[in-house]
Amino acid sequence: MGRIWRLIRVFTVGAMLVGGGSVGIASAQEDDGPVVFTIGSTDEITTLNPLKVYLASEYYILAWSYHLPFSFAPEDLSAVPDLATDVEVSEDGMTFTYTLQGGLTWSDGQPMTAEDMAFTMQMYQDSHAYIFSGYLTLMDSIEAVDETTVVLRSKQPTSLYAGNYLYAYVLPKHVWEGFDRPKQFENYPNVGSGPFLVEEWRTGEFIRMVRNPEWSGPEPYIDEVVWRYFKSQDAVAEALKAGEIDFAYFTAPNIFNSVKDEPNIETMVGVLPSFDEIGMNTGSAYQDPDGAFVPHGDGHPALTDVMVRRAIRMAIDSQQLSEKVYLGYAPPGDTIVPPVTIAGARWEPPEEERLAWDIEAANALLDEAGYLDTDGDGVREMPGGGQPLEFRYFVRTSDQTTIDAAPFVQSWLEQIGIKTEVTAMSSGRLGDVINAGEYDLFDWGWIPDIDPNSILSYFTCDQRPPDGTSYGNNDAYYCNPAYDELFLQQQSELDPQRRLEMIHELQRIFYNDAAYVVKWYSPLLQAYRTDTFTGYIPQPQPEGDLLSGYSRDAILSIRPVGLDVGGGDAGAGGEDEGAGPGTGAETRGVSAGVWIGIGAGVVVLVTAILLLRRRRTGEDEA
Amino acid sequence: MRGYLIGKVAQALLTLAFVVVFNFFLFRVMPGDPAALLLRGSAAFNPDTLEQVRVDLGLDRPLPAQFVTYLGDTLRLNLGDSFFARGRSVNTVIAERVWPTLLLVGTSTIASAIIGLVIGIYGGWRRGSAFDVGSLGFTLFVYSMPEFWFGILVLMAFAGGVGPFPAIFPTGGYETPAAGLTGLSHWVDVLNHMVLPFFVLTVAYLGEYAIIMRNSLIDIMGDDFITTARAKGVREQQVLWRHAVPNALLPTMTLTILSLGFVFGGAITIEYVFSWPGLGWLTVQAIDAKDFPLLQGLFLLFSAAVILANLVADLLYAYLDPRVRAG
Repeated sequence: MGRIWRLIRVFTVGAMLVGGGSVGIASAQEDDGPVVFTIGSTDEITTLNPLKVYLASEYYILAWSYHLPFSFAPEDLSAVPDLATDVEVSEDGMTFTYTLQGGLTWSDGQPMTAEDMAFTMQMYQDSHAYIFSGYLTLMDSIEAVDETTVVLRSKQPTSLYAGNYLYAYVLPKHVWEGFDRPKQFENYPNVGSGPFLVEEWRTGEFIRMVRNPEWSGPEPYIDEVVWRYFKSQDAVAEALKAGEIDFAYFTAPNIFNSVKDEPNIETMVGVLPSFDEIGMNTGSAYQDPDGAFVPHGDGHPALTDVMVRRAIRMAIDSQQLSEKVYLGYAPPGDTIVPPVTIAGARWEPPEEERLAWDIEAANALLDEAGYLDTDGDGVREMPGGGQPLEFRYFVRTSDQTTIDAAPFVQSWLEQIGIKTEVTAMSSGRLGDVINAGEYDLFDWGWIPDIDPNSILSYFTCDQRPPDGTSYGNNDAYYCNPAYDELFLQQQSELDPQRRLEMIHELQRIFYNDAAYVVKWYSPLLQAYRTDTFTGYIPQPQPEGDLLSGYSRDAILSIRPVGLDVGGGDAGAGGEDEGAGPGTGAETRGVSAGVWIGIGAGVVVLVTAILLLRRRRTGEDEA
Repeated sequence: MRGYLIGKVAQALLTLAFVVVFNFFLFRVMPGDPAALLLRGSAAFNPDTLEQVRVDLGLDRPLPAQFVTYLGDTLRLNLGDSFFARGRSVNTVIAERVWPTLLLVGTSTIASAIIGLVIGIYGGWRRGSAFDVGSLGFTLFVYSMPEFWFGILVLMAFAGGVGPFPAIFPTGGYETPAAGLTGLSHWVDVLNHMVLPFFVLTVAYLGEYAIIMRNSLIDIMGDDFITTARAKGVREQQVLWRHAVPNALLPTMTLTILSLGFVFGGAITIEYVFSWPGLGWLTVQAIDAKDFPLLQGLFLLFSAAVILANLVADLLYAYLDPRVRAG
């Protein structure tokens, strides 16, 4: 996945009063209506075309509509068979032979074959699919050799295609072939192979997914999934309390807290592969031209010095930030590979290498490096006097936590003689400023893939924004040839253990060069009603995404409370006897009779006033 | 009168033409590259992909060529494809939101104008009375109150339910998703969804009308023709409704009609609080995504509505006040 692009995380209102219960449900659907599971969220999807997805919320739709070559286990996100049951890797690590499960059918009745997979991957690569072509940069060719066998050849030896690194959903060839520009295809309603397909999308309102009649896997317990899109987090909280929705994601910790103690609501803080960082301009204006890269921008020269960056890392207390800003929900951060990743890939800085919070040591580091406060104004200057250490520090209006963190960071930096000027701007604007290299510090975040290859790839020299107007992933302008070389090596390393060691070393280099201060690993704030549905499956376990967004496990397991499924209770969720109320779509408000009454009342009133006035006027003129 | 009419219509058309041209350049001088924005965070990022995206978005051609295409398309009312709601045309994206916007903002503008004017009339007429003091305090309060704050309170009280307030109404949206309602039950559902935002908007807007109407009426009340009317022995009700109000209505009418022009712009904060699928929040999203075609379409619609409202106000003014068409 990619940059955290949450459009709405703006208003937060303090503690809410206790109340709730859904009085006034005017008409509930009959008991034999469809079982509808409703999710509330503020992150509306923008597209159903897999070539163009980029929002985290769009992945749920994909995961429930399509197959992956290999999927993610709910327990630990390790690779499990999906469309492919097996893969064989050649001796040289350049040929991958996938064996597919046969007998699957697309929702329009066409058979699903190896042709579909080969075609889809080729299309992703040829049409530069926004996210999915990223996994195919090493692919040289792909072909279907028979109904159930696909052979992929890579440009260089690699182990990446042997597992679920190929996180790209397989599409029906017969639907997608023949487009000149497949990105223009709306793909709505979609033809898929998963258990649920999009039937109705009202932009700005909701998405309704219904069962795929051709789905041959385990039968779901629910008939429809509705994603209801709200604009404010407060409204999501109210809807959950009122029972209009069954499940909700929150991004504002204080609003999340407001539903915590409500009756019939359970909350869970999940971990997901995500972090927020304060990035630094390590030298967009001072680095040498290299390929497409030309020096540009006007970052502060002090930030090219690793000692200054390390002092900044040491002045910022991730623990306190998490407690004060995220109310303790976010684990403090260090390296760019988050706790949720492939087994063994994460490197934790050992005690002796940890750039722990230590204002005194940070000050000593700056003294030693020659950044002294020569004019006694409390702000250090460049070695030998001159330019003071005054940094621009940009936060994002769309992410309240970046704004809330700023005063803490600012005061810590002040204690080490660094002055900052905080400015809030839209994500779009900050993106431009970063591309232009016209910043010193910024606050943003990433949602890395499960395999660390992608997040590590962002910090190679060739990923720097090249010319002041174009985009590049490497928003810190971090460039270290040793890092680049090791990155390419790990990509071609066939021995998994050796590859993990290289991944550790890459993290160590990046951590010590301190281009990023990883503030925290962002939590997934989830809440659900215990009186409507149960059977959630956190991914990864025990505390992950309750809707298991990387696979379809949860959506096949979620069921109305009280439904006897046998075989015990899988996953979290309260058990409550009695039929689950609110499983159908309910309308709220006053009934038609009341509205007609109100309408009639208004008409009578207006007529009476008019008649009265006419009579009076008539009297007057008489 | 005919000359006046032709002049006003020509003026409106000229303004609209200017807006069409201005629109194109306005959004293109905004810094940054929308193609790059779409690729943010993608491991697929490379110059090839970027170029491909620029081609996809029609941004690869020189500006004058883009402008010519734009003009032709706009005249044919083809506003292009939105970048943000990718793959869908601007016409579709806007059309989906026009009706909910008109329904909510239109009705509450009209309701607030009627209620506001009545409050203003009675307050101004009985200046200094208990009603006047009370209503002036109330209207000043609602006029200066932040809409979204009031909106959240109303949402918590009547959708979430706090203390004695019953949780009756839906927490937001235009209709109940997946309920499959049709006919009367659909409209009842929409009405129920509309109650809270309509109430908040009406209360938030009415202050302006009441205050202007009151001041306008107080001005008129001091005029000679009112004194004359009273001297003639015309009943007080007659003085108010036949002599004072029609004259005092002129400035408030301009305000009302211009407000109707702004109805298309939606009500950003209220759409936000009540998750109403309106044009206001769509504009915010379009700006954030640098969605040129969508922004062009929205601004064209907004400008056209305001220009049209202006024209209507001008013409109506001329009809109501002979001095205008003579001058």
